[in-house]
Amino acid sequence: MARIEDRGRVPLIRLRHVTKTFGAVEALVGFDLQVHPHQVVALVGDNGAGKSTVAKIISGVLQPDTGLLELNGTPTQIPGPSAALSAGIAAVFQDLALCDNLDVTANIFLGRALHRHGLLDEDAMEQAARRTLAMLNSDIPSVRTPVRALSAGQRQSVAIARALISNPRVIVLDEPTAALSVVQTAEVLSHIERLRDVGLGVIFISHNMNDVRAVADRIEVMRHGRNNGSFEAATASYETVLAAITGAVRLQHAV
Amino acid sequence: MAGSQTSLREANRALVIDTVRRFGGLTQVELATATGLSAATVSTIVRELLAAEVVQTRAAVRSGRRAVMVTMNRRVGLAVGVQVGLRSLEIVLADAAHEVLARQTLPLPFEHRADTTLDQVALLVVELLQRVGAEIDNLVGIGIGVPAPVDPSTGIVSLPGVMRGWDDVPIAHMISKRLGRPVFVDNDANLGALAESTLGAGRPYRDFAYVRVSHGIGAGIVIGGSVYRGFSGTAGEIGHSQVAVNGKICLCGSRGCLDTVVGSRTLVSALSVSHGLLTLRDIVKGVHDGDPGCTRVVEDAGAVIGTAVATMTLTINPECVIVGGELAETHEVLIRPIREAIRQRVMSTRITPIEVVPAELGPAAEATGALALALALAETDAAPRGAGREPRATPGEDGGPSPPPPTRGHRPRP
Repeated sequence: MARIEDRGRVPLIRLRHVTKTFGAVEALVGFDLQVHPHQVVALVGDNGAGKSTVAKIISGVLQPDTGLLELNGTPTQIPGPSAALSAGIAAVFQDLALCDNLDVTANIFLGRALHRHGLLDEDAMEQAARRTLAMLNSDIPSVRTPVRALSAGQRQSVAIARALISNPRVIVLDEPTAALSVVQTAEVLSHIERLRDVGLGVIFISHNMNDVRAVADRIEVMRHGRNNGSFEAATASYETVLAAITGAVRLQHAV
Repeated sequence: MAGSQTSLREANRALVIDTVRRFGGLTQVELATATGLSAATVSTIVRELLAAEVVQTRAAVRSGRRAVMVTMNRRVGLAVGVQVGLRSLEIVLADAAHEVLARQTLPLPFEHRADTTLDQVALLVVELLQRVGAEIDNLVGIGIGVPAPVDPSTGIVSLPGVMRGWDDVPIAHMISKRLGRPVFVDNDANLGALAESTLGAGRPYRDFAYVRVSHGIGAGIVIGGSVYRGFSGTAGEIGHSQVAVNGKICLCGSRGCLDTVVGSRTLVSALSVSHGLLTLRDIVKGVHDGDPGCTRVVEDAGAVIGTAVATMTLTINPECVIVGGELAETHEVLIRPIREAIRQRVMSTRITPIEVVPAELGPAAEATGALALALALAETDAAPRGAGREPRATPGEDGGPSPPPPTRGHRPRP
């Protein structure tokens, strides 16, 4: 468990001046970001501001054109999603990528089932699944329920639990509260608080200012692939953050 | 080992009850996997609990199959208690016997807006009712607590500025218009006091003060077994008593209020150089982990709060001071300096020194109080006019003339 004094020293993950273009599209231009243990950093911005590109670069899906990615202060390359996982970075994308026909445990251990004497260790997997869901305070009664029977909020917690099974230090959540009811949103936001409490660095991507300001420590505003302001969520007003998102206030950038 | 069979069965029963309570309602099959007990054991226990009227069952359909849905047995008349905090919202749904059927916490943003938050409250009420398979008509009332003084006659925040964006908001009206049920609004410390008085640490006392230490400081005063709110609802607002003559200007407009000295923002900024940016929850956790900086900040806060509480106790002469709120989760680290400051300043009578004890209901106190308020007032509201009275800690004992029943709620037209 991260001790409070350890915070604010070396960031778990840091992007320095990262640029990524797709043809004429400038997805990221000189983008900077740092995430410390025990911290929720929210990425907000309009559609196409580059939020998901950041998520994909951090989770190894995309490679930056230029710029530096540091893990615990060491410059690192993340050539693919499995490299990201072994570097302690887990991601939950918008589509969740769950298998409807499989139960909760099978989904959580999809692709990395536990074995014992050459056989599937169902008991160990079930226990680990139950433990992880309990850690999230999840309201899924049974880890043997097929995922298709779950609510949208419960599916989100299965996806988060799956990300947690690899014991990551950084977790990226891309729009986890989109299209959820209030109770389900309440659950996911509580999950995020729990993840922060156990010392993880959380990158929380969302459109919903209410959700972002409820659980984030820091809000990073993105606009056209650039940083456009960084705010302390505990004291930043709606107006300041919205002004940065809409471009009413702009940071000066070298062209 | 004699009795181990019985104690195992007892433990399993408790596990089943806990699980049903936690999920609101679930099928026997789900109950078996959630508890890890065998289907046969669950079936037996559910049958016993059904006979003892602890749970109730009804037919349901899950994944296209017939199933038996198990919920807690509920008395007629559900109520909802809501605590709208500065950074989070607690909501509990319970029956007339205070049996909690469902609860939920929602983190809230800094300076959350009244319209958004009240909209979320209305939706949460409906969703929680759905979760336990109940209708909106089963609801007798909704109680809402806010961290600001509330005018007992209107249910509107009576001290402008302390809850930005909530001044003049007809809270009860907005919710009752949406849901068509009676809504009652009160200050959160008053509700904490009400809850502790009926269900918690205040049960043995007729005169006590409940001090709530959270993002801000407030107190609820119980005199003769009922909550004393004052003419405009600001009784017990010790957060706005002056403790620093040349201090900072408070949200209320005065200088050097207790809130400006020991409010969460001040505590967080006191630790910002050494610890970086913390939340109130981080400070509590830091104290639990033995962090010296966090401990020091909480102890010092306790000493200042103690002097303010001491002044209040000289006025109302309570038998006991109960300390609750999020920061009280640090237990004696906060409470010891409060107790010492009070004992130092308050004349000790020959009868007994003033007791300073932790709250029993913890973070749930305010929402529980809101629930108790809704249950009590919905009942008195239904009774003929003039028959209503405040819920009392010790029913049956009449402590003289009672104030007229408060009308801080809004009752929709039938």
